[in-house]
Amino acid sequence: MGELFDGLVEALRLIGSGDAELREIAWRTLVVSGSATVLAMLIGVPAGYALARGSFPGRTFALASVNTGMGMPPVVIGLIVWLMLIRSGPFGGLELIYTKQAMVIAQLIIAIPLVVGFTAAAVQALPRELPELLKVLGAGRLRTLWLVAKEARLGLLAAVMAGFGAAVSEVGASLAVGGNLQGDTRVLTTAIVLETSRGQVERAIALGIVLLAMAFAVNLTLTIAQQRNRA
Amino acid sequence: MTGSRLLLLFAALALLPLAVACGGDDDESPGTSTPIGGTMILATTTSTQDTGLLDVLEPMFEERTGTDLKVIAIGTGAALEMAAKGDADAVLTHALSSEKKYVDSGDLVGARLVMHNDFVIVGPESDPEKLKGLTDLNAAMKALAAGGGFISRGDDSGTHKKELELWMAAAVDPRSVADREETGQGMGATLNVADQKGAYTLTDRGTYLALKQDLDLVVLFEGPAPLLNIYHAYVVNPEKHTGVKRAQAEAFVAFMVSPEVQQLIGDFKRAEYGEPLFIPDAGKTVESLGK
Amino acid sequence: MEIRLDGVRVERGARTVLDVPELVIRSGVVTAILGPNGAGKTTLLRAIAGLDRPAAGSILIGDRPVANGRVSFAFQRAVFVSGTVGQNLQLALRLRGIPSLERDRRVAATAEELGVGHLLGRDVRRLSGGEAQRVNLARALVLDDEVLLLDEPLAGLDAPSRESLLQELPATLRSRPRTTVALVTHDRDEAARLADDVVLLIDGRVHSAGSLQAVFSRPEDAESARFLGWTIVDWEGAVAGIAPGSLAVGTGEVEFSLEVEAIIPAGSRWEAVGRIGGSPARVGGDGPRPQAGPLTVSARRPDLLRLDGGVNVKNTGRTIGNR
Repeated sequence: MGELFDGLVEALRLIGSGDAELREIAWRTLVVSGSATVLAMLIGVPAGYALARGSFPGRTFALASVNTGMGMPPVVIGLIVWLMLIRSGPFGGLELIYTKQAMVIAQLIIAIPLVVGFTAAAVQALPRELPELLKVLGAGRLRTLWLVAKEARLGLLAAVMAGFGAAVSEVGASLAVGGNLQGDTRVLTTAIVLETSRGQVERAIALGIVLLAMAFAVNLTLTIAQQRNRA
Repeated sequence: MTGSRLLLLFAALALLPLAVACGGDDDESPGTSTPIGGTMILATTTSTQDTGLLDVLEPMFEERTGTDLKVIAIGTGAALEMAAKGDADAVLTHALSSEKKYVDSGDLVGARLVMHNDFVIVGPESDPEKLKGLTDLNAAMKALAAGGGFISRGDDSGTHKKELELWMAAAVDPRSVADREETGQGMGATLNVADQKGAYTLTDRGTYLALKQDLDLVVLFEGPAPLLNIYHAYVVNPEKHTGVKRAQAEAFVAFMVSPEVQQLIGDFKRAEYGEPLFIPDAGKTVESLGK
Repeated sequence: MEIRLDGVRVERGARTVLDVPELVIRSGVVTAILGPNGAGKTTLLRAIAGLDRPAAGSILIGDRPVANGRVSFAFQRAVFVSGTVGQNLQLALRLRGIPSLERDRRVAATAEELGVGHLLGRDVRRLSGGEAQRVNLARALVLDDEVLLLDEPLAGLDAPSRESLLQELPATLRSRPRTTVALVTHDRDEAARLADDVVLLIDGRVHSAGSLQAVFSRPEDAESARFLGWTIVDWEGAVAGIAPGSLAVGTGEVEFSLEVEAIIPAGSRWEAVGRIGGSPARVGGDGPRPQAGPLTVSARRPDLLRLDGGVNVKNTGRTIGNR
């Protein structure tokens, strides 16, 4: 218990001192996971909408895949992406391995099933006639998607929070494809692994606190936006 | 939030991926010596990284050559496997017997002896198995096998391989050792486990020194030649693996045995711990070490 | 804007749910698409709106095919986007690019017309059934399109709401002489009170189409007659229908036996409800109430209509012309 307390005190001191490396890692975490989440939304929301409203062959299969994807261990995804991107892999020539871009790709793949699933659920909860109503009122396809998204914003904001949560808390995949390179691909989660492995408990705790604070801050902002729109 | 403000926020967020995409690799300013540029992947062991030595050498190399050095610290086994698949450009490891296989198969070339330190057996001050005072390595291993608890890396690292070699030399089957557990983690974490459980473990001296003040473990056995921890640097064979960055890898190996770096290695954290973490060995032979 | 259907067939899976070889809906009048549930009325309306594409045939509005036509459609269930009544009414006009001042004017005017002017600021989630339906109608009307399609505009309303709309709607609809209105209903009364023309749809086929007068007074076949409330009987060896309300108690020109099942009292009068030969019938009378069981009733010859094709022939799709 004493060690934990010491660790906490030291950690708060580290954070308070504005440790440069800590700040750099925190900012990078936000950028990488934020980008992955935004991209996951851009791909996942239209996909979720199509899944909810469409009737095409293989729809049931697609739904099952999304549900499987949500339950898939992220480290497995990390392993697959790593195998794809290493030099001896099929996409080795792109030289994406051990870069931030590779991390965005892995986190994106992990977040997408969540975004698709949440979006589909949100859209299915809307009145069935809504898209047709918008169509007869004169809305084009893109406009309809935008208006339906507005109607489903409670569910969509939940999708963003779920996607970001998955991306920012990801360790195994980020470690495998990013390489945890100092000053380059080290993010909060992978840094925690490193410091723990080195026995540097205080730094690990400090990183953990920053990560929790970041996740909370992001979710707080989104929740405020979500609840305000409840009118 | 009104529609237009929401749109603005969304647009701002959407620009984030661009930041990542354009961010690319952090550019290093071209060095004063021979700038080579490009990127290279160095596969090395966790203990090399844990001591912090590479944290010092990496920026130095990058500044010298303008090359973005990506240091992937995984276990020795994994590092050598990367070399065999051509997924790395250079290798820095400390498991000579394993390395030999890869040299024989033609995956590793340009071997250079870089430095060494040694392994020590640490344990609780109470020393229930009475290791302190023993001089024979095999006797010490047999004493450990009898009881007292032993924590192994269990992660196919150089340290782990060394541990297995020692058991074999003492004719002990590791699986028969009472209270032996494998952490599958780095040296720092493994030392913490041994510390918490009051058990013994095999560690490189460097990592132990770095963490000594937070541990209750003490050095109970050291010295004999088999406990030497010898580091070699290799270039992954560009003839065999076409993707290898030959110029960068060769520059790295040369860098590691250059006089300036050798001096730095010898001085690394010497003042902090009162003894050197590594002994620079460029130019010597393996046989001459430890004598 | 006249609406023309030609060889239209709508299929759902293997079933043909709508089959209309030929139909014209007159421009500038109110046409009721009338029929029992499941007849395909909504399908027909949706096809005209362009929401469902028929498997075969063409639908023209004016002289342009449906895909390009601009129609207003009011769904059976009042569905809104989140916001106020005013915002919902404005939405359609916004989507059509109508400028703000004009929008406000039209929204205010149409809302007044339908008696919801005072609700413009109200959140749509807090509307009663009757209010919601009025806003639904207002939304369709505010667009002022040349074709107005209403799917069961009085569905789900309680009696008072329904009654007040039934009183107001005819004037509202007729105040737009340029607009062609087609409304779907399963209720004869609604059709009679709101429409000029009627298209009678049963089981996906048009059994008759024409003015209200023509369709109601001369059903084309037994099915149509039955739906319109006629009692179907065997008479002089043929299938015939007795016009609703034309039976009297006791002997007369043509006599039948009504099997009385229930008596509905009404002041000093009563109504006997039952069947003639299996087909529902009712008769009103005064004096002592009859018992359950056979009751002699009669009708006059002009109230009887032969339905077996002997006298009136055509049984699918009729163009509306001068009848």
